[in-house]
Amino acid sequence: MSVINRVVSGPPRPGNRLSVARLGAAESWDLTEVWELSGRVAGHLLGLGVRPGDRIGILAANSLEWVLLDLAALRIKAVTAGFDPGKFDATGAELVARYGLAVLFTDQDETADRVRPIAAVRELPPSDAVLPHVVWEPGETPALKFTSGSSGPAKSLLASAGSIDSSLAAVQEMFAHGPGDDIFVFLPLSLLQQRYWVYSALVFGHDVTISTYEAAFATLRTARPTVVMGVPGFYETTGAHLQARAARTGASPAEVAIEVFGDRIRYLWTGSAPANPATLRYFTDAGLPIFEGYGLNETCIVAKNHPGAHRPGSVGRVLPGKEVLIDADGVINVRGERPVATRYEHAEPGESEAMFRPGGIVRTGDLGHLDEDGYLFVRGRADDVIVLENGKKIIVRPIEERLKACTAIEDCVVTNPSQRQLVAIVSPAVNPVDTELIAAALRQANAALDHDEQVAKVVLADRFTVDNGLLSSQFKPRRKQIEARYRRLVIDPEEGIRA
Amino acid sequence: MPDTIETTARAALAEVLPQSLPPEAIDPDVELDHLGLTSLNKVLFLTSVCDRTQVGLHHFTEHDLAAMRTLGQVVEALSRHAEVR
Repeated sequence: MSVINRVVSGPPRPGNRLSVARLGAAESWDLTEVWELSGRVAGHLLGLGVRPGDRIGILAANSLEWVLLDLAALRIKAVTAGFDPGKFDATGAELVARYGLAVLFTDQDETADRVRPIAAVRELPPSDAVLPHVVWEPGETPALKFTSGSSGPAKSLLASAGSIDSSLAAVQEMFAHGPGDDIFVFLPLSLLQQRYWVYSALVFGHDVTISTYEAAFATLRTARPTVVMGVPGFYETTGAHLQARAARTGASPAEVAIEVFGDRIRYLWTGSAPANPATLRYFTDAGLPIFEGYGLNETCIVAKNHPGAHRPGSVGRVLPGKEVLIDADGVINVRGERPVATRYEHAEPGESEAMFRPGGIVRTGDLGHLDEDGYLFVRGRADDVIVLENGKKIIVRPIEERLKACTAIEDCVVTNPSQRQLVAIVSPAVNPVDTELIAAALRQANAALDHDEQVAKVVLADRFTVDNGLLSSQFKPRRKQIEARYRRLVIDPEEGIRA
Repeated sequence: MPDTIETTARAALAEVLPQSLPPEAIDPDVELDHLGLTSLNKVLFLTSVCDRTQVGLHHFTEHDLAAMRTLGQVVEALSRHAEVR
């Protein structure tokens, strides 16, 4: 039986727990209680007239109620559409209209037609409704998910049950989550992959702790998880904090890592954006193995390093059920036995055709290669290739990575204003800016690069942040915005730091 | 100078700011965002200062944290709970 159908087929074995650790409150339930409560919610949804295929919206921070609604939707074959309040500034009523929702539950203190307070979900009495026997076919779609692209309005797609199943099965094969494990989730449950760990707990018999972004640091050490699901931005900030703490207190990296993450970590998970190799090394050296992977919303997990097969610098081997095809331009294409989707639900004209190709193939737009042992290496975005006037194609990410290895450089974007020479726009790590150190980093990088890849000068930018629009919500530099904002400095020959 | 909530908070904040700023030079009324503090670093700062002053972060909700926009507001909020500890 597929993983998703095991979730909906009946109550889990007792003995494993769902904990919700928010600031000011920590609660815990046996998963059998969670199952029972989700049944009440499912009955309530049926009473509201929700039927198979209808969409349930959830606009709320992580909570027990979030989990209950999602499980309830699975149990009546409704579709969960999760919205992160931090990313959607539309009202619940607007989301209902925009995405054709049967009902939306929110913690945003809004009342409107088909918009309901999520808090009421927990207090529902037992329902008399008889829940249907449910089977999810691989091509059916339990979730509407949204891409958090670096520009433009969010695109959405309906994710197939088959893709969820194959990803969960492959993850279980690699990491063998089970009794004794507690997976810590603080990223929004509006991201489908964060909900995987609840499904995994129900099926494979382990604990799961749901927290919030704000409470993550305060609750990690008390929750004492064995696995933390994070993103590179989280680990980079946390790594810098651990190093500062070690320097301040004289404790070893391993000791401060335990102070922050607790003493039971088995491994740390990262993905969704490129990770800084130095950060990955820091955590591994501190006794917290960290495994990078690769995947898009449109492909789900494609490749993943794991304890049995780990090659630093790569994003791991390709998962069973997935095939990576590198096209003539070096772009990674992914074919899935069970594709996530074959088109977007909401997108600009032409975007579906650009991403989803015939035969279940997704053109990722990322450049990469497979080594002789099947490990996938991602080198950057195809859009980030600079073609010089001599025809030489320059992939900028490895150059940017070299510069970012400098402690004075937090981030950078390499551009070419003239098609002849490259210029790096740098987000400084410290203020006042250490121009000597940056000049030295430029010299060092250029010494290791081919002539055409060498960077002529560095232009100092403001620190890239989400707030000033120079980073995406996933902490990726927004290249076009950065290039536009600093164009004058880039082209002015009097400006910049030279090697 | 004896450790107070304010001096502890200033020291903890100085550690996470992107610029090198002496703790005593931080303007308590300037918004933390304007000092270059990212949202994750703000969480780290608050967690750290609560640790060092032994004021449990459990006194606050996510909403309370969002409302602490300046160093002065952080010190005031922590002081309220330190007094009743």
